[in-house]
Amino acid sequence: MADLGRAALVVSLGLAVYALVVGWFAARSGRRRLADSARNALIACFGSTLVAAAVLATALARHDFSFVYVASHTSRTLPTIYALSAFWGGQEGSLLLWLLVLTGYGALAVALNRRLLRDLTAWVVPVFGGIATFFAFVLVAVASPFDTQTAPVDGLGLTPSLQNPYMVAHPPMLYLGYVGLSVPFAFAVGAMLSGNTDERWIVATRRWTLAAWMFLGFGQLLGAHWAYTEVGWGGYYAWDPVENAALMPWLAATAFLHSVMIQERKGMLKVWNMVLVALAFELSVFGTFLTRSGVVNSIHSFAKSPIGGWFLAFVVISSLFSLTVILWRLPLLKARTKLESALSREAAFLYNNLLLVALCLTVLWGVLFPIVTQLVKGETRTMGRPYYDFFLRSFGLPLLLLMGIGPLIAWRRTSVRAILRLLVWPIAVSVVAGAVLLAAGAGTSTPGLIAYTFSAFVLGTIGVELVKGTRATGSLATLIARNRRRYGGYVVHASIVLLAIGIAGSSAYQTTRELKLLPGQTASVAGYRLHFGGVDRIRNDPNRTGQYAVLNVSGRWQGTMRTGQVTYTGFQETDEDVGIKTDWLRAQDLYVIANFQKHSNAVFFKVLVKPLVNLIWVAGIVFVIGSLIALWPDAREQRRLVTRLAPARA
Amino acid sequence: MARSSRSPARLVIALAVAGVLAVFLVYTALAGTSTPQLKPSQLATKANAGSLEVVGTVVGPLRGDSHSASGLRFGLHDIGAKSIVVPVVYHGDSPPALFAVGRHVVVSGTYANGRVAGTSILTKCPSKYTASTTKTY
Repeated sequence: MADLGRAALVVSLGLAVYALVVGWFAARSGRRRLADSARNALIACFGSTLVAAAVLATALARHDFSFVYVASHTSRTLPTIYALSAFWGGQEGSLLLWLLVLTGYGALAVALNRRLLRDLTAWVVPVFGGIATFFAFVLVAVASPFDTQTAPVDGLGLTPSLQNPYMVAHPPMLYLGYVGLSVPFAFAVGAMLSGNTDERWIVATRRWTLAAWMFLGFGQLLGAHWAYTEVGWGGYYAWDPVENAALMPWLAATAFLHSVMIQERKGMLKVWNMVLVALAFELSVFGTFLTRSGVVNSIHSFAKSPIGGWFLAFVVISSLFSLTVILWRLPLLKARTKLESALSREAAFLYNNLLLVALCLTVLWGVLFPIVTQLVKGETRTMGRPYYDFFLRSFGLPLLLLMGIGPLIAWRRTSVRAILRLLVWPIAVSVVAGAVLLAAGAGTSTPGLIAYTFSAFVLGTIGVELVKGTRATGSLATLIARNRRRYGGYVVHASIVLLAIGIAGSSAYQTTRELKLLPGQTASVAGYRLHFGGVDRIRNDPNRTGQYAVLNVSGRWQGTMRTGQVTYTGFQETDEDVGIKTDWLRAQDLYVIANFQKHSNAVFFKVLVKPLVNLIWVAGIVFVIGSLIALWPDAREQRRLVTRLAPARA
Repeated sequence: MARSSRSPARLVIALAVAGVLAVFLVYTALAGTSTPQLKPSQLATKANAGSLEVVGTVVGPLRGDSHSASGLRFGLHDIGAKSIVVPVVYHGDSPPALFAVGRHVVVSGTYANGRVAGTSILTKCPSKYTASTTKTY
C-alpha cells in the first residue's frame, strides 16, 4: 500500500511540474488548448494527491505500523479519531495535507473562473503549479510519509495532552488558512503576469481570502483555548515564535481584506495590495520554516528537520520572484484616482492598513531578533512579552478606534465637524462607559480603561449603524441580507471588540495568588473562599495515576472543584488537570492549579481570577458568524460587480 | 507636478511612517530591553552574566522546593547534547506540572558565581507527538 502512496506522490509531482512548465509556455504563447491541458493537469494533481492522502488515512485507521509515520505517531490503544488526526500531527502528514488542500483549492478556483477569467487563469495555473511542485518535491525527496519498516508490535502513541478535540481541529484550521492565502497570491501574480491588473482578480478571490482569513483566525483561537484549558499555565497566548507564525499572515491578510475595498471602489492602492497579498503568502510559508527549522527557540517542541532549509529557499525565491514581477508591472499598477483628503474613508482604511502592517512587522522583528543578534553580535537575545505588549497597545488601541470611525465617515472627503456629528452618540456612550468604569475601579490599568472606552465607542458606532439601517429597511434581517459584506464586517468588528475586552479584562484586571494550604484550611481570593477539603487519589485505574485536590468554594460561586496532576501509563509526562469554574454572568473564570508536595500534606494552589476571559471564546464564535455572513453568496452584490467591472473586461 | 507634490496620500504615509518610527524610538529609549538567551555550555565561559534566559534540559536530582529559602535546585545541560551541567536555584511560584528531569525548559533569572538564580520556569509545551520511550523527534 505504501508503494501506491509513493507512486501517487510521484505522479502529483509530475503533474505539478507539467502545470508549471506547460502552463507557463501556453500562457506566454497564447495556446488555448495547451493552457486547458495544464489546467487539467492541476486538477489531476489534486486527484493523485487525494489517492496518496487516502493511503495514509487508511494506514492510520488500520494501525499499519509498517508505515514509519503511523508507528511514530499512533498506538493501538489510541482512539480512531486521534489516530486519524495524526495525519496532520506529524511533519510528513501535515505537508501532505498542505499539498492536498493547495491542489484542491487551486483546481476549484481555476475551474470556477475558467470562463469568466480565461486570460487570467492561464497564468494562475503555472503559479499554482510552481507552489505545488515545491510541496510535492519535498514529499517525494525529503520527507515522505510512506517510508516503511518491519512493523513493530505497537506504535509510540500520542502525548495525552494532545488527545483533545481542540487539537483535532486546530492544526487543519490553520492549514486551511495558510494554504488558502495561496489563492489570492496565485491570482495576483497571474494578473500581473498576464498584464490584466484590473480588479477582476480581487473579485474572483475575495471569498477565498475571507475564508482563509476566517480559518486562520479561528484556528488560532482554538489553539489558544487548548493552551488555556489543557496546558495549565493560566494563559492563552505567549507571544511565542510558533504562535506568532500564525498571527503574522493573519494580520497581513486583515490589512489586505480592508485595502482591496479601496482598490475595488476607487482603483487605488494597487501596488500596496500586491505587496500585501505576497506578504501574507510568504509569511504563511515562513511560519512553516520557523516551526520546522529550529532556528528560533520556542516553547513548542516541534521536530527539527532538514525541510527548514528547503522552506527558507522557497520563501527567498518566491519573495524575489513576487518582488520582481511587481517592479516589472509597476506601470500597470498605477492608481485610477487619488486620495483627496486625509479625512476620508479611504484615508481611514489607509491608516488602518499602516497600523496592521506595522504591528505585523513589529511581531516579525521580535521573531527574527534572536537570529539577527546571533548573526550581528554572536549572542542570541530575545524580545519578551513587554516588547509585544507595548506594540500591541501602541498599534492595537488606535486600530480599535479606527474600527469605529472608518466605516462611518464619507468617501473622498469630510470635515472634523461632520465626523463629530456622526459620532456624537458613540462618543457619548464611550464617555459614560469610561466614567462608570472609573467609578467601578477600572482605573487601576490605564491601557485596560482605554481599551474598554474604545470598545464602548466601537460598539456604539455599530449600534448607530444598525439602528439607522434597520429604520431605513424596516428590519434587521433585510438590512443584513441587502449588504452581507458590510454587515458581516460589522459583526466581525463586534467580535474584535469582544476579543479586546476579553484580553484587557483577563490580563489588566487579573488577580493572581499562590496559597499554601493544609487540608481543612481556608483562604479568600477576589471574593471566592476556598476551603481545601483534602486529597483524592486516583485508584484502580490502569491508564493513569495521580491525585486531585478537592476545594469547596463559596462566596461569588458555590460548589466543589477538583484540580490535580495526572500521569498516564506509558508516558513520562505529568499533566495539570486545571480546575476552572466559569461565572457566565461576569464571563469570569476561577482558575486553580494544584502543586502537591512530596513530603507534606500541604498543597500549593495557584489561584487566578480572570475577569471577562470567556469573551475571548465568545468572540471566536461571533467572528465565524460575521465571516460567514460576509462570505455568503450575494446575487445583488454580484450583479453590481459585474456591471462595474464590465468595462474592464471589454 | 506641483499638484502631485501636495498629494495628501504622501503626507498621510509620511506621517504614518514617522509616527511608527517615533513609537519605536520611544520604546527603545524608555523600555526596550532584550534578554540574552544562552545554552548552559555558553555560560561555562562566563563568570557573571546578569539577567538572562537559559535554555536547556533538566538534570536531576530535583532537591528542595521553590518556596523555601534554599529554593528548588536542579541542573541544566544543552538540549540534545551532554554538555557541562549548570546548577540552578529557583525561587518563586511552583514550577509547571510538566517540569521534570529530562524536560526542555527556559529558565529566566540571573547568572553569578557559576550558578543560575531562576525566577521563572517555562516548560516546553508538548505540541508534538512524543514517544512513550525517551526517543524524541
